[in-house]
Amino acid sequence: MDTIRNYLDNMFAGLPKTARVNDLKNNILSNMEEKYNELKSQGKSENEAIGIVISEFGNIEELVNELGIRKDEMTASKPVVTKEEVENYISMKKTMGKYVSVGVFLCIIGAALLILISTLLENGVITTRLSDEAAQIPGVILMLVFVAIAVGLFIYSGMNLERFKYMEAGVQLPGYLETELKQRYEAYNPVFFLRLIISVTLFVLSPITIFVAAMLGDETTTYGVVVLLFIVAIGVFNLITAAMIKESYERLLNIGDYSKQPKKEDKVIGAVASIVWPLAVIIFLFCGFVYGLWYIAWIVFPITGILFGMFSAAYSIITSKDN
Amino acid sequence: MISSDVIRGYNDTIILYLLLDGESYGYEISKNIKELSDGKYIMKETTLYSAFNRLESNGYIESFYGDESFGKRRTYYRITPSGLAYYKEKCEEWVLTKDVINRFIKEWNV
Repeated sequence: MDTIRNYLDNMFAGLPKTARVNDLKNNILSNMEEKYNELKSQGKSENEAIGIVISEFGNIEELVNELGIRKDEMTASKPVVTKEEVENYISMKKTMGKYVSVGVFLCIIGAALLILISTLLENGVITTRLSDEAAQIPGVILMLVFVAIAVGLFIYSGMNLERFKYMEAGVQLPGYLETELKQRYEAYNPVFFLRLIISVTLFVLSPITIFVAAMLGDETTTYGVVVLLFIVAIGVFNLITAAMIKESYERLLNIGDYSKQPKKEDKVIGAVASIVWPLAVIIFLFCGFVYGLWYIAWIVFPITGILFGMFSAAYSIITSKDN
Repeated sequence: MISSDVIRGYNDTIILYLLLDGESYGYEISKNIKELSDGKYIMKETTLYSAFNRLESNGYIESFYGDESFGKRRTYYRITPSGLAYYKEKCEEWVLTKDVINRFIKEWNV
């Protein structure tokens, strides 16, 4: 019986999902099922019965013409995917979400460790025979190692997801699968919002660590920054893993930000990002190495983040007005 | 088995005929077509439902939900007065068509 249902799902996959089409599909399904049951009761084997029922289905083009569905309403150009492919994509997205968030976590923790080490040196908690400048180097190396691992993770996850690029370009789901995914998506939404709220709360509350540290004394202020970064790292980790799962459902179901074709401004924003972020890293390293400003140089990242966010939002608004 | 191309113009007539004696639903109609034609004509699902769609939008039949006590709701169809008029028209057309075409048909005794 599932074979017939799947066959019909595939046949109707390219048609717009209007109430009329759905009604028609259900009628045809019950018709086919009735025929199947009768053939079975006449002593036909499962395969024979299914074969006959499917051979007597006819030609979907006939219905398309009859219903007056125009070619541009058809979505047949999108590939129809199976349940297995969809499950593979979701689990891959989940795993790669963890890799990416570990990478981001490592980047932030790397910066936090660098600040921690330089502060410990400054405050004389750690003493070395190295000159002031040379003593900074281990911390920087440590941070670069963390960043290198993170970059490795980003590339690895990108490569793994490359295989599923056709899915992200938009797919056609068989009806039963779409219903199932919608239910799972709706079930996941409260989880996502809970995690979003946790992360945002962490971000908002994180500066408290600086105030507390500052109250304890001038020397301890920078430790507050380290704790702040650590809290932010946890928040970011939590947010990215949650967002990746949400994104996988939204892409498959063609909703949210993924309902439209990739927009042109994405390219512009991407191009600007590829310049701005490395520039921020250069400024960070430059201030650190040349002026020894490790304790405050990290501020370029949140500033860049906010400015970049403003830019991309403004850009989107301006370009969408033109359309 | 008759090719669907030849019979196309009369699918609607066949369905209307089967509704003359009262309401019916998709599978019953397709089963009756098969039986009355001794299995020589099997109307495909898409042909059947295209015809239902066409007949209904022309006002020749109307559909309604049956009240089955168990299982799925079935869509039933019944013929309308204008459907009956159309059916009669098609019957006359066929008599004429048959008469004309027959003049060009040579019977071969094999």
